[in-house]
Amino acid sequence: MIAAKRVSGCLILGVAMVLAPSVAFGQQAEPDLEAREEKAFKEASAVVAPSVVRIQTVGGLDRVGRVLTGTAATTGVVVSPDGFVISSAFNFVSRPSSVLVTLFDGRRFPAKIVANDRARMLTLLKIEADGLSVPKVAARKDFRVGQWAIAMGRTYESPLPSLSVGIISALDRIWGRALQTDAKISPANYGGPLVDIRGQVIGVLVPLSQRQAGRTAGVEWYDSGIGFAIPMSDILETLPRLKTGTDLLPGLMGITLKAGDVYASAAIIDRVRFNSPAEKSGLKPGDIIASVDGQPIRRLVQVRNALGNKYAGDTITVVVRRDKASVEQKIELTGKLEPYTPTFLGILPSRKKQGEPVNGVAVRGILPESPASIAMIRPGDRVVQLDKTPVADAAGLFDLISRRRVGEKVTVHVDRGGARQSLVAKLAVVPSEVPAVLESEIITAPDPKPADLPKTGRFNQKLPGHDQDFWAYVPENYNPARGFGLVVWIHPGSDTKEADIHELWKPVCDERGLILVGPRAKEIAGWNLNEAGFIEAMVKHIQEKYNIDDQRIVLHGFSDGCRFAYHLAFKYRSLFRGVVASSEPLKLRPPENRPDLRLQFFLSCGDKDNLYRQVQQTRSRLAAMKFPVTLSSVPDDGHNYPPIPVLDAIGRWIEMLDRI
Amino acid sequence: MTNRVLTGLLGLTIACVSFPGDVVGQSPVHSTIQRVQQRMVKVFGAGGIRRLHSYSTGFVVSPAGHVATVWSHVLDTEELTVVLADGRKVTAKVLNAEPQLDLAVLELQAEDLDLPSWNLEAESSDAGPGTRVLGFSNMFRVATGDEMVSVLHGVVAAKAPLATRRGAFETSYEGTAFIVDAVTNNPGAGGGVLTTRGGRLLGMIGKELRNAESNTWVNYAVPIAELKQPIQQIIAGQYKARQRDPEETEAKARFRPLEFGIVLVPDVLFRTPAFIDRVQPGSVAAGVGLRPDDLVLFVNGDLVQSCRVFKQRLGRIKSGGVLKLTVRRGDKLVPVELPVPEKPATPGDNK
Repeated sequence: MIAAKRVSGCLILGVAMVLAPSVAFGQQAEPDLEAREEKAFKEASAVVAPSVVRIQTVGGLDRVGRVLTGTAATTGVVVSPDGFVISSAFNFVSRPSSVLVTLFDGRRFPAKIVANDRARMLTLLKIEADGLSVPKVAARKDFRVGQWAIAMGRTYESPLPSLSVGIISALDRIWGRALQTDAKISPANYGGPLVDIRGQVIGVLVPLSQRQAGRTAGVEWYDSGIGFAIPMSDILETLPRLKTGTDLLPGLMGITLKAGDVYASAAIIDRVRFNSPAEKSGLKPGDIIASVDGQPIRRLVQVRNALGNKYAGDTITVVVRRDKASVEQKIELTGKLEPYTPTFLGILPSRKKQGEPVNGVAVRGILPESPASIAMIRPGDRVVQLDKTPVADAAGLFDLISRRRVGEKVTVHVDRGGARQSLVAKLAVVPSEVPAVLESEIITAPDPKPADLPKTGRFNQKLPGHDQDFWAYVPENYNPARGFGLVVWIHPGSDTKEADIHELWKPVCDERGLILVGPRAKEIAGWNLNEAGFIEAMVKHIQEKYNIDDQRIVLHGFSDGCRFAYHLAFKYRSLFRGVVASSEPLKLRPPENRPDLRLQFFLSCGDKDNLYRQVQQTRSRLAAMKFPVTLSSVPDDGHNYPPIPVLDAIGRWIEMLDRI
Repeated sequence: MTNRVLTGLLGLTIACVSFPGDVVGQSPVHSTIQRVQQRMVKVFGAGGIRRLHSYSTGFVVSPAGHVATVWSHVLDTEELTVVLADGRKVTAKVLNAEPQLDLAVLELQAEDLDLPSWNLEAESSDAGPGTRVLGFSNMFRVATGDEMVSVLHGVVAAKAPLATRRGAFETSYEGTAFIVDAVTNNPGAGGGVLTTRGGRLLGMIGKELRNAESNTWVNYAVPIAELKQPIQQIIAGQYKARQRDPEETEAKARFRPLEFGIVLVPDVLFRTPAFIDRVQPGSVAAGVGLRPDDLVLFVNGDLVQSCRVFKQRLGRIKSGGVLKLTVRRGDKLVPVELPVPEKPATPGDNK
């Protein structure tokens, strides 16, 4: 990917440059302007050079995520005469066991990592030295797009720092944290200074991305003409806090805003996280944010920009409009929010058939020992109101419940045979057990069969527009009048297990109303992460052909196939509602649990499998993040595909994925 | 995403056109470009399969038709063609090559050429970081027929050794190179030239190269000072391929840490730091005061980033000399010198 990007960048650059010289390089009026500029580049860098240090690391990881960590020397900038050096956090991503700093004069010092700025991706180092040369700092107000910007690094074994010359391309990038330059920024100068033509430091070079966070984000743009620097004047402001040795975290308020066009819609608070600074200060769903720290907010995106430069511990002043009144709140931001905990009532909503009138939520089943069961809600009841809010449909009821907390009492108004009943239930956490018995609705094939009924049974198909194919099993009793679940089987490396999976899953699919699809990896040896788009396209294709219940789209993997299944589940969160992972621990970092992007997990593993302990840890890890997770242990089994009783449990688990 | 970057870059390059000055006219740079382009050629040879490009660039180094270019798989054919700046297509053969410099000199198979060519004695120069430079090459084979090769601009980022240590780069050239801040080293760009804006020849653009230490692509040119003599000798028919550095060929004894009384911590990770676990009593290491928990950082001035690299370095020291180590002890760097015992060279380990 990196190579391809670099290639496209170069091509265009090359072509444009062929056309450009007569315009760009023409200097008839001042023939030696170019020479004087060149001299100025050299002088500016010479002024700053004594403050640019070489950083070497020893030990550490060889790979972080998909990025190979380098072992090359990197760069830092002296920020105080007594030995503080600022650098890019990327340079320490491998978590080295030892860090060395070499000054411009060749003196070498062991360095200590003092603290990290996790919003601006900087690391502060300290060496035991005195009388160091601190560079002059350019004032932020003087930055102009188009001014010369010289990037300096110390990767190379040369007494002079390396240079790349460009201009400032933009100000206030990445939520106001950075400025952009077209000088070539890469591991050769991450951590080094961006210098103006007078030899004053504009900023410190870091990889950044507006789409991703993390220490390796933005590295794929190296040398592309898109580089970022954190203004040095901003760094100096936070330096006293970094010097105390505490990491600076991005400041969080604990609200989510109502979805909308980020550049057009007003910033209306949708949810307020439990125990968050926003909740403690009294912000409420429905409040419209009018200003943050005096900056007026008219659009969603402005909230993000206003908070981009704030750290945990900072106090901000937020003005919201509530019922035509203006309410001002002081909010101290936090670095960490408590995870969202899903709440549970215990009803299974009726799966709406086509053409059925919408009026509340018909109860298809009640889960045993659930709050709904204790409150005596019964199958056949129709939930029409929760507390004071009318209930339109299952999605509406789920949304209402998800905004309440575990332990809270709710009054459920149901229509039972024409009579209204009000029942009080105390909300609980989503249980991790799967009930031993769970009836499924009886499914019958349409009679007579419509002429345009899509294919049923087992078949192979090439996905239109892709050079990859998949196999599928659609139960013979498929009926387009009701939504079917979808199980996407992600086969392990070097064995697609098609015959086994088909045979084992056929009865489950027939009983539970599930369609099974088995995409085939391009290379039989295993999945490549860039095949994710094919899987997404395949699922969308199936959704177009068949009536798929979007609450029951599940990824299922066994052994190393699970890695790709997890990747897909985290990448396409609005598509997949569940992951069934057999005999493989989770090695990726799961995303935050969100009520609007529901995700549940079913793990299974033989208790004699070498990975069993790790799978148990996966369960604990997901549970700690408050994801609903079930672990089914297979007694006396090694690293094998789960046996039929576990498959039956998976069937029941999928059956209740739409539980509320 | 690629598309987005593409559009971004397009916008950027268009913006570039309007600075640093908008004065249209004939400038020294303009005439430099015209002059240099007349001396550039496009080389076509072997490749075209398994993503190997079948083209590269060359520069004319004699009026009679000698072309210096990069030594690569492209030249590995009987049917080598060179397209001159004026569009003429001429067959060529490899006169001689110096793989250690990634250099080859071609002889064009045509009479009475009298081509515009570089005078390597009079037209070469040197440059340091910040010097503005131009790169000329047929990268990506953008120029066809009599079209001129592409020109890039940038500055010298550094003049530094390419290979800071063995294995850092997959290249045969290990000397000092011009590293450039423009993306000069692309498929087919090898054999192009780097010049000053006044048209002085600085170096020959090398092959595409990935820096194994930082996992990034590096843009560089081999200084003409390194190439001048071999080119002239090849043309004169007097060239003898270079000998390896005498130090390189010298027999080396294979030492292990234990022979100095050093026991390292178990090497369990890819990059286990070279911490000393134990020091054998009465050993050389004990004699110079090395202690458990000392972290070995430098061996004879070279950084060692892991146990593995430390052992490799010890495998290459000379017998009977002095081994200089720098260890980190707490927050201090402590240099020590250990006498290296006499030991016969291990056969089969000479490279």
